[in-house]
Amino acid sequence: MGVLDGRVACITGGTRGIGLAIAKSFLEEGARVVVNGRDESKAERTLAELGAGDQVAYIPGDVKKREVCEAIVDGTVERFGRIDILVPNAGGSSGNAPVADLTDEAMQDALVWNFWHTFWTMRRAFHYMIPQQWGRVINISSVEGKVGKPGLSIYVVSKHAINGLTKSAAHEVGTLGITVNALCPGAIETDTMMEQGPPAAESMGLSYDGLLDMFAQESAIKRLNDVEDCAAVATLLASDAGAGITGSLISIDGGTAPY
Amino acid sequence: MGKLDGKVACITGGTRSIGRAMADAFLAEGGKVVVNGRDEAKGQACLDEMNAGDNAAFFAGDASKQDAVEGLIDFTIERYGQLDICCLNSGGVLNTAPVAQMSDEEWQLEVDWNLNHVFWGMRRALQHMIPRESGRVIVTSSVEGKLGKPGIPGYAATKHAVNGLVKAAAHENGTLGITINAILPGLIETDIVRATGPDSAVAMGLGSYENLIEAFSSESAIKRPNTVEEVAAVAVLLASDAAKNITGCMFPVDGGTMPY
Repeated sequence: MGVLDGRVACITGGTRGIGLAIAKSFLEEGARVVVNGRDESKAERTLAELGAGDQVAYIPGDVKKREVCEAIVDGTVERFGRIDILVPNAGGSSGNAPVADLTDEAMQDALVWNFWHTFWTMRRAFHYMIPQQWGRVINISSVEGKVGKPGLSIYVVSKHAINGLTKSAAHEVGTLGITVNALCPGAIETDTMMEQGPPAAESMGLSYDGLLDMFAQESAIKRLNDVEDCAAVATLLASDAGAGITGSLISIDGGTAPY
Repeated sequence: MGKLDGKVACITGGTRSIGRAMADAFLAEGGKVVVNGRDEAKGQACLDEMNAGDNAAFFAGDASKQDAVEGLIDFTIERYGQLDICCLNSGGVLNTAPVAQMSDEEWQLEVDWNLNHVFWGMRRALQHMIPRESGRVIVTSSVEGKLGKPGIPGYAATKHAVNGLVKAAAHENGTLGITINAILPGLIETDIVRATGPDSAVAMGLGSYENLIEAFSSESAIKRPNTVEEVAAVAVLLASDAAKNITGCMFPVDGGTMPY
């Protein structure tokens, strides 16, 4: 008996990093899972690694497009007959720079990638969850959704926006059996971090190693978090035991965020 | 395989309500548990109900008293050889009142029960956990640790203070394999709330116990009180190896009540 037996989950950016760890945990607890990603070859490796047969499916697509976001949610329902758990996990930022030098394009890209994608998938998922009076939306925010760092404003802005959306939506659907929460992880050295970290560090006047060390030193544990930390909390929130937790911005940051 | 196999926990105020739900959940995950409470008869009834044999024990004592809190920690280590999870859960109010009418005696009781008890227990537990470089401290705080309602100034003040203690201690011990977190439940209809709620409702200007429950529920997104099982599920997560990197966290279990 798993705590997610019979549940169907949809995870954007689910082929690696935090999303993949959440997918593994959900599968272990009995759920069927749709993972999304842009790269077919990475997805093939992910499905092979998961080894879950018919319990897992892949829907390709770039979450920066509304029609793709909606198709991922619709596709989950077509594949497994319902959607119980949505994890809009994809995200990141490129073109980081101090505000004085920031381009419109970089701000717009981060907002679409992090915030609009979360909104588009959540709205679509609500269309299924509200009639069934059961649902879990687990947004992937960040410690940067609660604080702010120089040179990272596009990421900070879009994660703060996700937190606001989480709180508002939670109150809208709070009596309908649907919870909406956000995980706020500290820095984790995922594939995405390794790709986007070096240029982000440069925008902050740091080396990549310096960036990682800065995040670690701000925490109580003096090290980075890991993807399994997020998966454990996501599984609790997705379970029946999480029914009374909503509108929460849960810090998984080794003690970094001040609130 | 349970998530807490081989782990030993102690829980203040563990014979009923939130603490009892934690004890039940810890036992179900393979832990050993010492529950504490003031009443020997309730303690024995709790052990009988849990039916966990040698995996559970009771320690009698008043959590607002230093010797009782420290005695619980010492007893747990003596009984099971170690202490891995220290749940400082007991707390409440007895005769709360607005600040202008608050008695020194009630104020002192609330400070001892809600704040000093956590400090005494945490300090004693850390003295055991630091040399072992392993441990979990889980403090039952409240939404009132971030908010403040009229008529319960001592409760709000002490729960705010507890949150500060958790954050400071988490940073002191963050590299030692020890996590220190607080769970912030919304209103739960525990035995203590049922017993003291009617008087608290009057102190808060709400008139009746039913109005008190409604006042808290209506602030939440779920429009209902929380449950002890919801808190216990979070406690199991925080106690487990999976939460080794979660510390200094104010974990909400409040149905969306708190603004941050």
